[in-house]
Amino acid sequence: MPVVDGVELPETPLLDELEKGPWPSFVKEIKKTAIEQEKAMKAGKKIKLPGAAKGLLKVLELAYKDKRTHWKHGGIVSVIGYGGGVIGRYCDLEDQIPEVWHFHTIRINMPAGWFYTTKALRTICDVWEKWGSGLTNFHGSTGDIILLGTRTEYLQPCANALAYADQLYGGVPFDIGGSGSDLRTPSACMGPALCEFACYDTLKACYEFTMRYQNELHRPMWPYKFKIKCSGCPNDCVAAKARSDFAIIGTWKDEIQIDQEAVREYAKVIDIEEHVVKKCPTKAISWDGKELKINNRECIRCMHCINVLPKALKPGKERGATILIGGKAPFVDGAIIGWVAVPFIPENELIEKCCEMLEAIWEWWDEEGKFRERVGELIWRKGMDEFLKVINQKADVRMVYAPRNNPFIFWRELNE
Amino acid sequence: MTEEINKEELKQKILEHLAKKPWQVRDLAKVLRVKKKELDKIVQELIAEGKAAYWSSGSTTYVTTKEKLEEMEKKRSGT
Repeated sequence: MPVVDGVELPETPLLDELEKGPWPSFVKEIKKTAIEQEKAMKAGKKIKLPGAAKGLLKVLELAYKDKRTHWKHGGIVSVIGYGGGVIGRYCDLEDQIPEVWHFHTIRINMPAGWFYTTKALRTICDVWEKWGSGLTNFHGSTGDIILLGTRTEYLQPCANALAYADQLYGGVPFDIGGSGSDLRTPSACMGPALCEFACYDTLKACYEFTMRYQNELHRPMWPYKFKIKCSGCPNDCVAAKARSDFAIIGTWKDEIQIDQEAVREYAKVIDIEEHVVKKCPTKAISWDGKELKINNRECIRCMHCINVLPKALKPGKERGATILIGGKAPFVDGAIIGWVAVPFIPENELIEKCCEMLEAIWEWWDEEGKFRERVGELIWRKGMDEFLKVINQKADVRMVYAPRNNPFIFWRELNE
Repeated sequence: MTEEINKEELKQKILEHLAKKPWQVRDLAKVLRVKKKELDKIVQELIAEGKAAYWSSGSTTYVTTKEKLEEMEKKRSGT
């Protein structure tokens, strides 16, 4: 049995392979946690799940060896008043590895834009070291903070410790996020807080949706999950168009703002013709060595020129967002990109219009949707025509089906 | 008064169904021929009263009685 820092770790020859290489390794992190846990216990610290990280290493090693999982998924949501945010998980090796027999996950509602103070992070870590395995996952694919592994009887105390952290520890309180057939925790890019391209206040929108729809977030009653993601510009840093049922993607209506002096400055270090003009997918840009011209009617908001020349080019002044409906990212079929449902909503009307639409969509989907049918699938079944009646929109040529349907694949021409 | 009695009867019927297996509210609404929205409210009341509870697979959520849930959890955890 290998001994590290005076702590015995289980033999894990298969997992050890995943530690090799210069990149970060989850195996390294679990081993570090196992060592820290044992040291803390030796120092007299009370740990609710002693040996959890060691147990997890053993289960993982066995899963690789047996070529099957040893987890049983699903279970009770034992936090009073909540129907989501806890995912039950049991290990089928309770006799061999009792340390991780119960290994439930708790999802925590992250702040909009994923901004934390060190104090807030310390609160989460302290609570989780006390009531759980000490292992976390920052962040899950919906965006929540994932706390990995605790027992049923610790779910309520852990939720209380987080909810009342300010009163109990002088910490920063956190609420549980969404799971199951409910509104999943809304997420947003960092938006205007850190990014000059943001065409609307993503953080405000995310906060408003989270606060307004607490019932939908915590009390699952729908046919299946529903995700809202807010991206400030068409760069779509939170992958809203591919990963959310309701994607709000910032855009502009007028012309890209150009600072010609700044373009000329860039021209001293960047080949504008090669790296900007020729890369424009609609050939909307021209450059004569002195002046950059953009035919805005041809612009498809790919953001390439703005990304390459951020000091010289900016989104237009008439800002707002495009709404896409029905995106999702299932494992088997791959990403399904949302369908443009509303081409443009001005920034000052955005949140209220979105709320009106969301409530109408939920009402329709809840009534018509089949078990485990996402809203996008319901639109395929019933037709976009019916959906547009629900959201009170007229068909429009700009309602593009699955725009940019391969945004995450970078390929080279075969002859390159 | 009559409405209250009917609601209590309905609650009882719901609990009888929930005691047999976990249900998706929409399916139970069809079986009981009740509007889903109405059933949503009653199920919430039953949960608040501690008579019903959620069971979640992580991706989808069901409702059942507290007793049935405990029985399922015992089975699931292998005790």
